[in-house]
Amino acid sequence: MAEKTFQKLWITFLKDLKLSFNGIYFYIEVGMAVIFTLVMVFVVPENFDSSQTFHVVLDAEPAYQSFLRNLFESEDLGQIQFHDDRHALHQAMEADRSSVGVVLSMDAQGLQYNLVLQGYESPRMRTLLKTLIEGELLSQTPGWSGTTDTRVLEPDSERLTDRAHVLPIYLTVNVGLMGLFIIAAYIFLDKDEGVIKAFAVAPVHIWQYLASKLCIMLIIGLGSSLLVVFALVGRQAHYGLLLGATVAFNLFGSTLGLFIASFFDTMVKAMGALYLAVMVLMIASVSYFMPSFNPLWIRIFPSYPMLFSFRELLLSNGNAWYVLQNIGFFLILSGVLFGLSVHRFKRSITV
Amino acid sequence: MIEKESSRGTEKKGENMISVENLSHYYTQNQVFAVKNVSFQVEKGEIFGFLGPSGAGKSTTQGVLTGLLPLQQGRVRVAGHDLSHPKRTMFNKIGVSFEQSNVYGKLTARENLDFYAKLFDVPTMKTMDLLEMVGLDKVADKKAGTFSKGMKHRLTFVRSMINKPEMWFLDEPTTGLDPAIGSQIKDIIRQENEKGATVFLTTHNMQVADELCDRVAFIIDGEIKLIDSPRNLKLQFGQQMVVVDHLVQGQRKTEQFSLIMDEDKTRLNQLIQTGQIQMMHTKEATLEEIFIKVTGRGLE
Repeated sequence: MAEKTFQKLWITFLKDLKLSFNGIYFYIEVGMAVIFTLVMVFVVPENFDSSQTFHVVLDAEPAYQSFLRNLFESEDLGQIQFHDDRHALHQAMEADRSSVGVVLSMDAQGLQYNLVLQGYESPRMRTLLKTLIEGELLSQTPGWSGTTDTRVLEPDSERLTDRAHVLPIYLTVNVGLMGLFIIAAYIFLDKDEGVIKAFAVAPVHIWQYLASKLCIMLIIGLGSSLLVVFALVGRQAHYGLLLGATVAFNLFGSTLGLFIASFFDTMVKAMGALYLAVMVLMIASVSYFMPSFNPLWIRIFPSYPMLFSFRELLLSNGNAWYVLQNIGFFLILSGVLFGLSVHRFKRSITV
Repeated sequence: MIEKESSRGTEKKGENMISVENLSHYYTQNQVFAVKNVSFQVEKGEIFGFLGPSGAGKSTTQGVLTGLLPLQQGRVRVAGHDLSHPKRTMFNKIGVSFEQSNVYGKLTARENLDFYAKLFDVPTMKTMDLLEMVGLDKVADKKAGTFSKGMKHRLTFVRSMINKPEMWFLDEPTTGLDPAIGSQIKDIIRQENEKGATVFLTTHNMQVADELCDRVAFIIDGEIKLIDSPRNLKLQFGQQMVVVDHLVQGQRKTEQFSLIMDEDKTRLNQLIQTGQIQMMHTKEATLEEIFIKVTGRGLE
């Protein structure tokens, strides 16, 4: 009995696979993955060059000047340009509006510094520059009595390259949430063609019909995620976790799409709700780009754990437990959504 | 009790394949009943015609009987299954052909039937035999999306008989087909019925119903107005007439005479005596005329 049940699911899946290969959505998804990969590999650099030019005026004894010059040059501060006086510094800064300047001078009280800014820098940025000057540079000068104490809490902390940093967004949107639209499109296409009615008068269950669609989405999701991740980060990612996360998040997106679609009878009517769902779910991406902004309410959105799980599995020392927890949670959530969708579609799929 | 020998076993008329009691159905959009308190039975081995104009409630009734629409009110049994607790396995015994063709346009005719055949738990007919039956064998490997409307309709029709259904629902099976193909389809229906299939035929084509059906039901505004055999209906509601072409002072004249009314009978006798008759034939009422007479409404 169970064998027959899964045989019918398999037959339906093969039919859907054939239809997908003959349809446009499959190629849209694969095409998106290929285009994204090509753009990321050939257009986007591994890391964006965000170094800022430091314009420096050293107003001190020649011997001390030499010491300070060496100190500046020994630190990784990006580009440094030395100027003879403040006027030259101002001119250089006017020519390059993204640069910053510092004037170091000796007086009776000792070494003083003046930051010269463009005016648009935020208080946070100003504090950062101040910390950099005091903590990294001046603290090393003899007789400096500053109060800034810089400690690196996680000296081995890992960060993704700028290119890899974009990957979690792509994976969440394309693998997790695009399924929401595509699976709904598949259902409504079958409704339009009327083939859903023929299926409904055959000895098969509605769950087999829906599960077959989920499997198609899974194949597309796994294919595109593996292609993109391997092309961009090679063997650096945890592929076991990637498979698990892709399956769980893709199932979540697809079952959510099914559930939403069950309330509508045409794609046009469902479009607004599907679009709104994707937009709401993506709110958490704000936190991804601004990690300091992560209030509880934003962490509730499913895309938050999706984004950060993908990030963790791309890091060589990522938090595997966090990813596994999310995989489990999303699998359970997908199961519940699938159950609800089957219940609703039993009543509405042929009406 | 009539018995029919068939390949599907000995069919005994008298057993009900469909039993409907007080069926009512409404659509949630408008809360208006599309079918109101309908009751009827269809005997095993019978071809039962469900006739009515568009919007009469034919498709809604068939929708409920085939499980496409939920049973809201009333009791319905189809092929031994109670539709208040439907089981998917009942579809092994049922075949449904839809008015609107619904095949996968991106699959070939053969792939469409092969896929569908694999969904059943009972022996199915050979794909090529089915395609040959409706003249689609030469285009078996063409995508159904490239087919004409008639070809798609034929594919939908043969798909519905793939599981050799005991209970066969046909919704407008000859609509949109040219007369030759339509006649072919009617022959197939007769053949399958002779093999034992019970047929529930939904149509607004009275000629098809007249040719095929053992009994017909007239439905209008969601209510069944009458159920009987076409022959009985003609006897009951039709008026036997004789149409006579005769010459009057060298000019041809056509007149109709009732065989029931004495006045007409006398006049007809007189005409026969004068020997001026050129042509004379009987004319019986059509089902369509009877439908209009019973319901007061046309079929379009």
